[in-house]
Amino acid sequence: MLFAFGVFVSLSQDLQWYKDALIYQVHVRSFQDSSGDGIGDFRGLAQKLDYLHDLGINTLWLMPFFPSPLRDDGYDISDYRSVHPSYGTLDDFKGFLEAAHARGIRVIIEMVLNHTSDQHAWFQQSRSSRDNPRRDWYVWSDTDTRYQGTRIIFLDTELSNWAWDPVSKQYYWHRFFSHQPDLNYDNPEVREEMWEVMRFWLRLGVDGFRLDAVPYLIEREGTNCENLPETHALLKEYRARLDREFPGKMFLAEANQWPEDLGPYFSAGDEFHMAFHFPLMPRMFMGLKLEDRKPITEILQRTPEIPQTCQWCLFLRNHDELTLEMVTDMERDYMYDEYARDRSMRLNLGIRRRLAPLLDNDRRRIELMNGLLMSLPGTPIIYYGDEIGMGDNVNLGDRNGVRTPMQWDGGWNGGFSLADPEKLYSPLMLNPVYGYQAVNVASQKRFEHSLLSWMKRLLAVRKSSAVFGRGSIEFLYPANHRVLAYVRKWGKETILAVNNLSSSAQAVELDLRAYKGNILIEMFGRNIFPRIGDLPYLLTMGPYQFYWFRLRKV
Amino acid sequence: MPEESILTDDFLHELMSVGEVDLLVGVPTYNDAASIGQIVQAIRAGLVKYFPRQRAVIVNADGGSQDQTQELVRAASINDLQQAPSPHALRTLHSISARYGGGPASGRGLYAILAAADLLHSSACAVISADSTNIEPEWIAHLLQPVCRDGFDLVTPVYHRHKFDGLLLRNLVYPMTRALYARQVREPYPSEFAFSGRLATQIFGQEGWAEEAEQDGAKLYLTISAITSGFKLAQALLGNKTRAQSNPPADVVDALREGVGPLFLSLDHYPAWRSNAPSEPVPIFGGRPELTLDPLRINRKRLYDLFRSGVEELAPLLNSIVSRSTLRELQQLASREEQDFCYCDELWVRTIYEFAASYHRAVINRDHIIQALAPLYRGRAYTFLLENRDSQGEEVERNVEALCLTFEKFKPYLEDLWDGRR
Amino acid sequence: MWDKFVVELSQATQEIIRNLAQFLPRLLVTLITVVIGGLAAWVIEVIVRSVLRLVKFDRLSDDAGASQFLRRTALPSSTELLSRFVFWVAWIGFILVGVNVLGIVGLEPHISKLVAYLPRLVAAVCLIFFGLLAASFFSRAALLAAVNAGSPSPKLISSAVRTLITVLSVSMAFEELGLAEQTVLIAFGLIFGALLFGLALAFGLGGQELAKRFLEARFAHPKQREHEDELSPL
Repeated sequence: MLFAFGVFVSLSQDLQWYKDALIYQVHVRSFQDSSGDGIGDFRGLAQKLDYLHDLGINTLWLMPFFPSPLRDDGYDISDYRSVHPSYGTLDDFKGFLEAAHARGIRVIIEMVLNHTSDQHAWFQQSRSSRDNPRRDWYVWSDTDTRYQGTRIIFLDTELSNWAWDPVSKQYYWHRFFSHQPDLNYDNPEVREEMWEVMRFWLRLGVDGFRLDAVPYLIEREGTNCENLPETHALLKEYRARLDREFPGKMFLAEANQWPEDLGPYFSAGDEFHMAFHFPLMPRMFMGLKLEDRKPITEILQRTPEIPQTCQWCLFLRNHDELTLEMVTDMERDYMYDEYARDRSMRLNLGIRRRLAPLLDNDRRRIELMNGLLMSLPGTPIIYYGDEIGMGDNVNLGDRNGVRTPMQWDGGWNGGFSLADPEKLYSPLMLNPVYGYQAVNVASQKRFEHSLLSWMKRLLAVRKSSAVFGRGSIEFLYPANHRVLAYVRKWGKETILAVNNLSSSAQAVELDLRAYKGNILIEMFGRNIFPRIGDLPYLLTMGPYQFYWFRLRKV
Repeated sequence: MPEESILTDDFLHELMSVGEVDLLVGVPTYNDAASIGQIVQAIRAGLVKYFPRQRAVIVNADGGSQDQTQELVRAASINDLQQAPSPHALRTLHSISARYGGGPASGRGLYAILAAADLLHSSACAVISADSTNIEPEWIAHLLQPVCRDGFDLVTPVYHRHKFDGLLLRNLVYPMTRALYARQVREPYPSEFAFSGRLATQIFGQEGWAEEAEQDGAKLYLTISAITSGFKLAQALLGNKTRAQSNPPADVVDALREGVGPLFLSLDHYPAWRSNAPSEPVPIFGGRPELTLDPLRINRKRLYDLFRSGVEELAPLLNSIVSRSTLRELQQLASREEQDFCYCDELWVRTIYEFAASYHRAVINRDHIIQALAPLYRGRAYTFLLENRDSQGEEVERNVEALCLTFEKFKPYLEDLWDGRR
Repeated sequence: MWDKFVVELSQATQEIIRNLAQFLPRLLVTLITVVIGGLAAWVIEVIVRSVLRLVKFDRLSDDAGASQFLRRTALPSSTELLSRFVFWVAWIGFILVGVNVLGIVGLEPHISKLVAYLPRLVAAVCLIFFGLLAASFFSRAALLAAVNAGSPSPKLISSAVRTLITVLSVSMAFEELGLAEQTVLIAFGLIFGALLFGLALAFGLGGQELAKRFLEARFAHPKQREHEDELSPL
């Protein structure tokens, strides 16, 4: 039926497709329920592929959909080779994948290497007795004092990285929740098994993996057990196998680290293809609030050069809290005060809110932030619902407030499901500002000036030039620090982006003498701006306004 | 307005790129390359450390230096451009430097800084002298915090001083200002001070300030304006007072011109001095100032000699300035021997008030009146040195306080002179 | 004889009457000139007074110490003085013109001379006036500077300045009037020479120390200056 529309778009054959990717992050559970059980599923997701294609994205990142007790939103996997029954069957997945590829949309799935659920058969066997053959698949210890230099990540819920197992009377190691025991990668059997798991999915046709929590794979005494050389060696081994057996597939690292510590994950282009730029994201919000480009230029200056085949992944918001681990204490205090004055909005070291509420639902700021996301060097990720400005519900525990059902229209359950509202996996947003009756796809599709329509245009402009994904960046430093301006260059193409981070009109004089003689063409309206001469190029900008100019020698 | 605007186009251009700020620190300079780098560094450190979240700018108002002063200020800017990123600063901290129009004059520098504070809507503004080489980052906090946190409008400094430092200040300027304007401001001519945006806007908006800026006493007028317009005053303890080594010790006549001339002149401008309210103390933040007592070699004999010869030679001139009885007493004093010389509080206060009244009436050229005061001030300084030779800090303070009270007690005498009743 | 007498008398009477008839209109013209002249002089006086007030001439002469001098001698203020002076000069001028109209034989050349002389007189008076002002101002400035610098004989310096400026202005005034030009020039030359010689002697002999100090202060490094103010006054 899907093919009846005749949308056959072949996937590009470029091995570096991830550089031009526009990623849409979605949870199967939250997007569309086709079975009426109140939980989204693969058939539902497949139905909405046309919407995603229409939006303009070309890559989907699916959050974990494996069988799981769902105590950590699916990141606690109890079977790596199947689909959670609520989301459908493996065949449903295959059908969805085929449909996506038919629309030119690639699919990246999660691969949680670090740990399994304590319900996984491997752990059940491992804990059953000390001499079970799978005993060594996890990290066991008689004491809870090993690896003392290791920080606790979930500060709000966990007291130690060790948990006592009353069955086999030993402690087991866990970096996240205590129901997520860490796999022991010093055991070659584990390594092989996990590669087999990856092969399983690659053979089905997935285009890449987001490898979860990679800094923590291997533990060594006397270290902080993060980013260890042994971990990198393991990842390089997996990469080599990937390149050999499945060229054109991609690894994306989730490593919440300072940019200088992320260098090794790219290594010489033989480890990860992509990695998230975690420190940039809070600084974009900070720069906006401070009305000062300094946080952004500073972190990008600190960001090391990466190999030509590698790419940063940029995002404004995702399924987790807006993490403030990679900022100084002073910066964190500032962010809390400005973006999460209400303590209930804070979680661990971060802020659990969606994009629109973080920006006070101010359309100008939402546009500016998306403009930055699309024009800074890297591959952008849009978190589902942010393209229509969905809100969050801080009253739901943990990070569930930003994982409410997608709001499709103003009808029953917001068009998400035909189930009774009480049966939904999560309550819908109901308040008058962000509720599904106010914020939904159907109503925004009808208006040319809706956020959704604007996002489509933004993505279309972004796709019109490969400079955004592949080009170099060079900052201009106009005297007015409220204006962030940079030149992106790739091949013969040059694009100038100018962003006013302040809430008031600004004048800025740009030193563009290096580009003397070029004219500027504004990319959204294709209007011509005056030719660059010897004098500083004067631009006046409205509040939170941004310009993208293509430079043309005429 | 002077022919050339004090706020030059260049200045405005620099201000434009800075935009609205919360805090502004102004540094007026003129050929201060030797000290300016260090001063800007200290200001920067203070702003980053104590006011990380506020939007701040350092504004150097230069009188047309021929040395590297301006370049040094610009180089000290924490800009994302020139410097390695500073891990402490949240924001861009501009330090801009521009020349004000009309040639070097401290008043013009201050005026330019006031204008900048007004134009940039800064809520608090500090001015730091380019002489203050012993500046600490804490000074910035001490000066600005009373404005930002406690809502004061003018913060003048107090320093730990040597007991014989600032003699003119303690013998004339402080007591007289206190008696006239009823606020106990220790340094009415602050070289470092802070003020609120409210005050800057009011002063900048006042008619005639551009002309007053042409004169020496702009700082005093700022203090007096703040007092007479009912703004909230505070004082902040900064540290030790020293002057840049490059500056030779100030000449007495110059000091009088700078310090006493504007004070006398202020009587014409601010009729508020005629109110008879008792003087009120001004709160001091950051501790109490102390007097240091290290031994000092001072040529006291010369002070005495200059007083004697001055009274003798200037008798006809003094006759037209002070009353006959005062002149007679001065002449008697001049005939005394060194050891029983005492230019006591009462006579000193009467002399000053008579000078002020004559200055008002301009019986002779006003600058000549100020110059004629120099030998008499030397006599008073001699007495002060003699009186407090072996005194501890507290005793010196007591003596100064007594002099202040004498100034206050004799204020009606000044009013009589003013109204021609004597 | 009687007839002749009568004829003569009547002739003389007629002559007188004729002369009188001739003279009376002239007298009238003279009187009118004087009256109009008085009015014109008054207008000029008013103008001068307001101009002087406008330029704050009183303040200028205050600064020079002239006001004090005038007050002491019970004279009106310098603006008043100058405008009255202008009034009188103008009126006298008009009176002279009027008298000229009378046509009294022999008076005319003198009067025209006097009229021609008037502007020079005004100039000379002004020269002396401003000269005295300047002398008073500069001598006081010198006195104060000398006292505050601790020079040995401030009064001498001060009166030397005063004498010099006074003599200069007086001799300029005389020159303007064209009186005893030679004498004045010689007298001025003598006094000026004597003063300079005296100063030279004083510096050379008595003022070695002063000259040394002066030169040191002027050219030597400021740090070497001997100063009482190791203490900063402010």
